[in-house]
Amino acid sequence: MAILKKLRLRLRALFFKSEMEDELQAELRFHLEREIEENITRGMTPEEARFAALRSFGGIERVMEESRDERGIRLLEELWQDLRYGARMLRKQPGFTSIAALTLALGIGANTAIFSIVNAVLLRPLPYPESDRLMFLSERSRQTESLSVSWSNYLDWRVRQSSFERIGVYRYDSYNLTGGGEPERLQVGQVSADLFAALRVDAALGRVFTDDEDRPGVAPVVVLSQGLWRRRFGGDPHILDRTITLNDRSFTVIGVMPAGFQFPNRVELWVPAGQLSGGDWRNRDNHPGLSGVARLKNGVTIEQARADMDAIALGLEKEYPRTNRDIRVTITPLLETMVSDARRALWTLFAATGLVLLIACANVANLLLARASVRQREMAVRAAMGASRVRLARQLLTESVTLALLGGGPGLLLARWGVNAMVAIGARSLPRASEIRLDGRTLAFTAAASILTGVLFGLAPAWRAGRVALQQSLKEAGHSLAAGGQRTRGALIIVKTALALMLLIGAGLLLRSFYRLNMVNPGFAYDHLLSFSLSLPAGKYASPEQRSDFYSDLIRKLSALPGAQSVGLASGLPFGASSWRTRFVVDGRPAPPPGEEPLLEALLVSPDYFRTMGIPLRAGRYLTEQDDRRHLAGHDLSGLDEGARMAAGVNAIIIDEEFARRYWPNENAVGKLIRLTPVDPGSPALTVVGVVGRVKMERLSAESNRAQAYFSYLQLPFSNITAVIKSQLEPAQMIAAARRQIQVIDPHQPIYNIRTLEQVRAASIAPERLNLTLLGLFATLALILAAIGLYGVTAYSVSQRAHEIGVRMSLGAQRRDVFKLIVQQALRLTLIGVAIGLAGAFALTRVMRTLLFEVSAADPVTFAVIPLLIAVVALFACWIPARRATKVDPIIALKSE
Amino acid sequence: MGHMKQTQTDLLQGTLDLLVLKTLQSGPTHGWDIAQRIQQVSQDVLRVGQGSLYPALHRLEAQGWIASEWGASENNRKAKYYKLTAAGRKQLSAETETWRRFTGAVELILKTS
Repeated sequence: MAILKKLRLRLRALFFKSEMEDELQAELRFHLEREIEENITRGMTPEEARFAALRSFGGIERVMEESRDERGIRLLEELWQDLRYGARMLRKQPGFTSIAALTLALGIGANTAIFSIVNAVLLRPLPYPESDRLMFLSERSRQTESLSVSWSNYLDWRVRQSSFERIGVYRYDSYNLTGGGEPERLQVGQVSADLFAALRVDAALGRVFTDDEDRPGVAPVVVLSQGLWRRRFGGDPHILDRTITLNDRSFTVIGVMPAGFQFPNRVELWVPAGQLSGGDWRNRDNHPGLSGVARLKNGVTIEQARADMDAIALGLEKEYPRTNRDIRVTITPLLETMVSDARRALWTLFAATGLVLLIACANVANLLLARASVRQREMAVRAAMGASRVRLARQLLTESVTLALLGGGPGLLLARWGVNAMVAIGARSLPRASEIRLDGRTLAFTAAASILTGVLFGLAPAWRAGRVALQQSLKEAGHSLAAGGQRTRGALIIVKTALALMLLIGAGLLLRSFYRLNMVNPGFAYDHLLSFSLSLPAGKYASPEQRSDFYSDLIRKLSALPGAQSVGLASGLPFGASSWRTRFVVDGRPAPPPGEEPLLEALLVSPDYFRTMGIPLRAGRYLTEQDDRRHLAGHDLSGLDEGARMAAGVNAIIIDEEFARRYWPNENAVGKLIRLTPVDPGSPALTVVGVVGRVKMERLSAESNRAQAYFSYLQLPFSNITAVIKSQLEPAQMIAAARRQIQVIDPHQPIYNIRTLEQVRAASIAPERLNLTLLGLFATLALILAAIGLYGVTAYSVSQRAHEIGVRMSLGAQRRDVFKLIVQQALRLTLIGVAIGLAGAFALTRVMRTLLFEVSAADPVTFAVIPLLIAVVALFACWIPARRATKVDPIIALKSE
Repeated sequence: MGHMKQTQTDLLQGTLDLLVLKTLQSGPTHGWDIAQRIQQVSQDVLRVGQGSLYPALHRLEAQGWIASEWGASENNRKAKYYKLTAAGRKQLSAETETWRRFTGAVELILKTS
């Protein structure tokens, strides 16, 4: 309190000087008048009284002066003085000031941009109350590290657990929205009623689901996102209780969520998951893609919750040994789950921008040092006039901090622009991208970074200015100090080179990884391919025959498009992670215990899919139109549950070469039989009819070990299908025509995910591309700054050494010798920097290991090429000044000293 | 430059500070009144010149021992009133203690001779 009061008093003294002055005058005038009155009452005449009072007062000005001094405002006044002086010096040298400020703006801007992403993605809590208590729940078995949550298990968790306030589950789906405008495909969250409660988020308008709505057989209800409500329904305040049509069914709108609520990510509608739980969700071994979100009770630790859930899982295993063998629950903090993929990359980029800023600092310090030797005389004069060493250093530090703040302003603008650009590029690959913005914390970071930067690069010149003050003779100041400055400048060059080398090696490693990644053969061709998806509403296309008729019609219509070469349909595309996984047994071999049968991942495809995608046939044949449902004639499937019905529906299978190698290593796989689980001895086995090449299903960089299989879409016509068209034309030119053909078949059928396969591929490597682009950008920036720095220092040293060079030349040194002298000196510094940088890079790049693909963190090629690159750039940077040195005229050089 | 002068005035300042704080202990008042009271109470032995009073007041205020406020004087004119702060009260008792010890010690020495 007292300190605050004092500070206020001092600030008032500093900034409201005239007001203080007036008060002081008034106070003294009052005293004088009171004294005069007193004198008059003692019997003096008014004149005598006035004179006596003035005499006893003894000089009003002096009293005022001394009162002022007692205010202790000197420090602040001096700071103000320094600021004004510094600003004047910076204004007087606009060239120096703008180069330094620009350099700093680049460094500070890059830092602020990456910090605002780090802040939004990694540091800021999730936008829910007490979000650190939110946990992510999934299941696991001995075979599979991450299983989705079984609905029946979830219902038991809810009853038995005691660690969480609430547990909710959710999964993604997409629905067709029709009526009142263009048909649209929307991302839907199928969520249990407890999800909103666990997140502690309520509807902005209306309400969220009740438990009664979260079970099978009740009227469908839907909650809209704020965005959808505004975009599609014009923010209609009377939306509640109205019905909308999703997948040809009516849903009653019961609520609208607040703006900014996005859970799960990018969802526009929420429907109760429990309404889907009537059928095969009741099977405990069905894990239908649900994930859990739960809120820890106050005071319960994550370890306690894990122990609690482990005990429950063990109990369920005892009760249901067939379905719950080895099934356990994995609990991780929700934030961790969302951002763990991005963490390593973001911290690496943040460190990279830190290095760039250090290089920028070193550059500006060099500029200031060069300027300081020009200002030596000014400093010496001020020292001689009584300015203390601390005072001089303080003045220079004030100047450099002002300079840094001048860089911070444009830096902030750069950061704003950069953040927008990065969010635009990285929206799909960065978690929590929608939350990224410049906030108060970012501004504070920029301010702190600027001030720190100013102190950092101001330290060397300030320290030297202090030394100048100690120099007694003004004249002597010249030479000895120039040598000292040269040493500092040399050290800065070494530091800069080392930092730039480290950054370049990091970028080089990413570049090599990216190159390797691009060289990976995905197993299919992606040029001149257009794809889009559509989803047939269950009501309108209820029977398999209706669906396969639609698809046959679709293939016919698309094949007839001008430019179309072939058309394929598939239940999903590579890199889309929408394959269908099931267990199987090889016919005639002993069956493994239930639940431990091998897994295969399957796509349902049309006969021409392989040709369209360029997937090569290794043995046997592709699927044909004959692989349809005729083999089912006479089989009655109505008594079977869904899994068995699927297993019974197919009789032909195409497998990939890895599948064939693993199960029939030295045999021809064609003609072999397998059965899908649950095995129904009454239904026909599947015959392997062909073997095709292996395809990267998840990502280019991921090597999955799952066996791949293809079934005929004619035997299992799913309601979601993706069409692929190979065309001679640019794929994008086909879109409008393809859309028209679908409108002809069914005008209410939306298509979505319209992308070329080239785009699908690019999206699959987008995170790697973003990392490479940014780190590459920062490394290039570092290299340029380091080169500019080396150029500046060499040029300065040439101008300083003109006299020495003149002497050498008049003693018979050749121009070649002079050139060598200068270049050698610059290269020596560079090489020391390279050596230090190599050691640093060796230590630091190991943390990047998880970001690399098929490239070692100590990749010899990168570690050899980058130093060479630095050496070449350094050579160029000192070339021009060295050339200038050879042009020194010995006579002029000697005379000028 | 200012070193010699500073040590000289330090002693005087210390005494004057004590007197001002003591005077303000009995209630807020303005500069002229402080000077008058010191003079009256000391039976004209101590006279405080304005040249040292006002710098002292401003110094004490800057140190946070006293606070000021504009108010109406006894003859209804605008005057600056000073009052003791909590920190000032503490300072007063500390300085009083120091002063007592100092004069006590001087007294002892004077008695022995």
